[in-house]
Amino acid sequence: MKKLCALLLAVMMLTSIVSLSLAEDSKTLTIVAWDANTTGYLTAQKEAYEAAHPGVTIEYIDVSSQDYDTKVAAMLAGGDTSDIFMVKDIPALLNWYEAGYAENLNDYIAAANYDLNGFVGMEVNYKFNDEQVALPFRSDFEILFYNKDLFDEAGVAYPTNDMSWEEYKEKALAIADPSKDIYGTHYHTWLSTAVNYTVADGVNTLVDGEYSDLAYFYQLVQDLEDAEACMAYNEVSAAGLHYSGAFGNGNIAMMPMGYWYVATLITNIENGSYNVKNWGLAAMPTKEDVKAGSTFGNLTGTMINKASANKDLAWDYIAWLSGEEGSKVTASTGNRPAWVSEGVADVMSAVEGFPADEVSKASLLPTYVAIEIPGTALSSQISNILNEEHSAIMTREISIEEGIENMNERVQELLGE
Amino acid sequence: MSQAVTKGKPKKYKMGRLERKNTLIAYSFLAPNFIGFAIFTLIPVILSVVMSFTEWKGGALSSMQWVGGANYASIFSSAKVSAKMGELGFFGGLDYFFSKVDLGIALKNTIFYTVVTVPLSLICAVALALVLNKAVKGAVVFRAILFFPYVASMVAICVCWNFMLMKNGPVNQLFMAFGSTFNKSWTADSTMAMWAIVLVSVWRNMGYYMVIYLAALQGVPRELYEAATVDGANKWKQFLHVTLPQLRPTTFFASIMLIIGCFKIYDTVAIMTNGGPGRATKMLVIYIYQEAFSNFHYGVASAIAMVLLLVVLLVTIIQFSLEDKYSNN
Amino acid sequence: MQTRYAGERRSRFPIGKILIYILLIALSIFTLIPFVWMISASLKLDREVFTFPMKWIPETFHWENYSVIWTKVPMLTYFKNTAIIALCVTLIQTLTSSFAAYAFAKLTFKGRDVLFLCYIGTIAVPWQAYMLPQFILMRSIGLYDRLLAIMVLQAFSAFGVFLMRQFYQNIPSDLCEAARIDGLSEYGIWARIMLPLSTAAIATLVIFTFVGTWNDYMGPMIYLTREENKTIQVGLRRFIQENSSDYHLIMAASVVSLIPVSVVFLALQRYFIEGIATSGLKG
Repeated sequence: MKKLCALLLAVMMLTSIVSLSLAEDSKTLTIVAWDANTTGYLTAQKEAYEAAHPGVTIEYIDVSSQDYDTKVAAMLAGGDTSDIFMVKDIPALLNWYEAGYAENLNDYIAAANYDLNGFVGMEVNYKFNDEQVALPFRSDFEILFYNKDLFDEAGVAYPTNDMSWEEYKEKALAIADPSKDIYGTHYHTWLSTAVNYTVADGVNTLVDGEYSDLAYFYQLVQDLEDAEACMAYNEVSAAGLHYSGAFGNGNIAMMPMGYWYVATLITNIENGSYNVKNWGLAAMPTKEDVKAGSTFGNLTGTMINKASANKDLAWDYIAWLSGEEGSKVTASTGNRPAWVSEGVADVMSAVEGFPADEVSKASLLPTYVAIEIPGTALSSQISNILNEEHSAIMTREISIEEGIENMNERVQELLGE
Repeated sequence: MSQAVTKGKPKKYKMGRLERKNTLIAYSFLAPNFIGFAIFTLIPVILSVVMSFTEWKGGALSSMQWVGGANYASIFSSAKVSAKMGELGFFGGLDYFFSKVDLGIALKNTIFYTVVTVPLSLICAVALALVLNKAVKGAVVFRAILFFPYVASMVAICVCWNFMLMKNGPVNQLFMAFGSTFNKSWTADSTMAMWAIVLVSVWRNMGYYMVIYLAALQGVPRELYEAATVDGANKWKQFLHVTLPQLRPTTFFASIMLIIGCFKIYDTVAIMTNGGPGRATKMLVIYIYQEAFSNFHYGVASAIAMVLLLVVLLVTIIQFSLEDKYSNN
Repeated sequence: MQTRYAGERRSRFPIGKILIYILLIALSIFTLIPFVWMISASLKLDREVFTFPMKWIPETFHWENYSVIWTKVPMLTYFKNTAIIALCVTLIQTLTSSFAAYAFAKLTFKGRDVLFLCYIGTIAVPWQAYMLPQFILMRSIGLYDRLLAIMVLQAFSAFGVFLMRQFYQNIPSDLCEAARIDGLSEYGIWARIMLPLSTAAIATLVIFTFVGTWNDYMGPMIYLTREENKTIQVGLRRFIQENSSDYHLIMAASVVSLIPVSVVFLALQRYFIEGIATSGLKG
């Protein structure tokens, strides 16, 4: 084992010497990312940064998104010296941090006097033991996409930014027409699109071990399924139906989805592969006792590798990326940056193909965004349990009550250990 | 040479030298493969055995912490299970283990799946090989067709099958024509999801093991059949007394590989059901994958793998000794 | 072949044969239906793929799906890499494992059974469990992001040794004894007796190794990073993810990736007929 470690160290040193000597001529930053070729904002960010910083080249290492955590785990354990790793989900970041791969950014932040206020508090999700180990550059929150043409045809008023879940249900039922294959709404198979809204009140979380609050949302989905106002979970999952094609097909009136779908939608409408033409955005509905415009969301960020030989340059890049300038670049591709300001919101709504109405524009600034699932030592285990019970409930193999009872029992057992 | 080794030992010294020489020759045969095998597979596997007794987050190797049997205690949920045993008796505890604990459920599912899939695949493979070994017209085409499932990419295959097995899909329609009342997507039903995986597995394994049996049938000396015919054995007896015994090493191979393959099933389940609905098709490797790459409990993942290894080794050793017994007869 | 059952009454054949054909055709249909659907889906438009009632024959044939996939990802590079890996692996695997299998099947030596159990044992350990230690080891000897990494990982797998050992056990030991008495060395026995007698087995191993390497996904996914090193399965998955809703294109790509392996199979399967059955005991 010792010999192995020594060998490993030697190789690591060698590679870092090589990359150091390279760095003198022209600086190259390697960033490990997923689906680098098809993710539009990555190219835009690279081009913008390189233009503003002559002599710096950004190189993406492309990893398949589905196996991102697996491959990155191997790369890091093998002593990879890539400078920056994109952060896909918080439990994985927590693991990289605990395994000792994430550079503590506190000193950099202090030295640069970096203003964290633009993140409206979201950056704390990347903070463990008071160490800020990553910065977010994208913050996708759940938002309601709708097909204006279907609403017009059915003579139903467009969704608003202060809608209740009851109103949402009424609209879905009013538009649905099984005989014409028209659905009022669409749920992807994920737990998040179906029931994660419970966390929008700022009190409930998915890691507290108490899930009776999910019943309301499960009941809503099942009512809509029974009325054939949305496709049944069983069919969606068996067909492996992807949400983008589903909404793009043009026979679905509403679909709750992450903000990232805006970019996909605009591109595909532009190149003519979608049937849907006029669409809009509205804030997610809320329960009566929750402030309108509340929703949940998730972060995408960047982490500096402790084994990187260009940490200062890497910091310069991620500070730029997450700050005002980088955020404008990210926004210009139809994505929602984590850094929010009036200037950034203007860029977002000015993107070509973005719906022009005021409601859509106003929906860009939610009143409250809860984190989808907080990063605790147990959150990935908890979400495994929740997903398993979710599939049992949604396939109707067990009742909602049984499913929630299982969730409570299993998660509480885990928390009690 | 093997006689020299096994028979009588009048002069111990001389025999020892010969033995050494034989062993050296044998090692020279093994070396080219074994060196590669040892470096790239055996050592990592041994490391993972060690890992199952440690806690490791994937950091530097020196950050591994020895935790003894803690990982095993946690996957067997031993505290809870023994408490239940005290409360409900031995079988009550066992029932708890197999219906509530992840490892128990995964073991139960995997063993059920293996017990169903292995015989089905073997029978189909042998039958097909026997038929296609004869001069059936179009044998070449049939063989190619039956081997196709193994060649095709799993992702595409599973998408196809999921569609075939959907609520209004062709398979359900066929069954309904025969009076079945089942009207749900197979993968959405706790019972049928498992059968969907069995179906796809047998469909895939069938042609693969058929090829192995076909190759083995080429090695059955024709003289044996001629002798049997002279003795007046009919076709069935020929099969029982000539073909089957001659195929024994192949059956040994096929059954062990099938058992291992079934115990290690991952792709099909991950794509078709991802272990669902609920935990109805959660298999051992799905569980391992979850622990390793979503929870980052590498020690725990290794411990589950060791449970799998032990079960498979047990079965293998039993078969191994059976084979030895038969081939010595 | 036909003389194998020379002593049989021929009169029974027609009924039996017809039954066998019916069974074979039924099984072939069972086997082929998903493929037919795959091909039909690969010629449809995206939104036609999952429509009910399903249409087996597309309204219009969209052959362009097959040209689109070549422009979306560098399939040609992927094909080249996979072919190089698969050929090398097949060569090394077949040679070394038939060599090692001879020792396991026909020689007696100390530690044989334990060593053999080691081989089988490693097959039984899921790769996910030792993936990280293996990766750390490979990286420390500089085998990361090189085609060579996948070659050495695949080439020395225990599978080949096990398969060949079982085939060699079928060959009567008397043959080896006779050859030893004739003064042939063990290497000579392997080259002049075992190899010629096991063409069918070798053909099987070649097919399986080739197919296995061709279809390997996790290995290349973990070990190969640069674009110019990626393989067909990594490309296929990437393609599937990048076009996650375009099932027509996914099916087209899958059909294309099927072709090379099918060619290898068709080319080698004649060895299952022209095998060694007749040379049997003559030595």
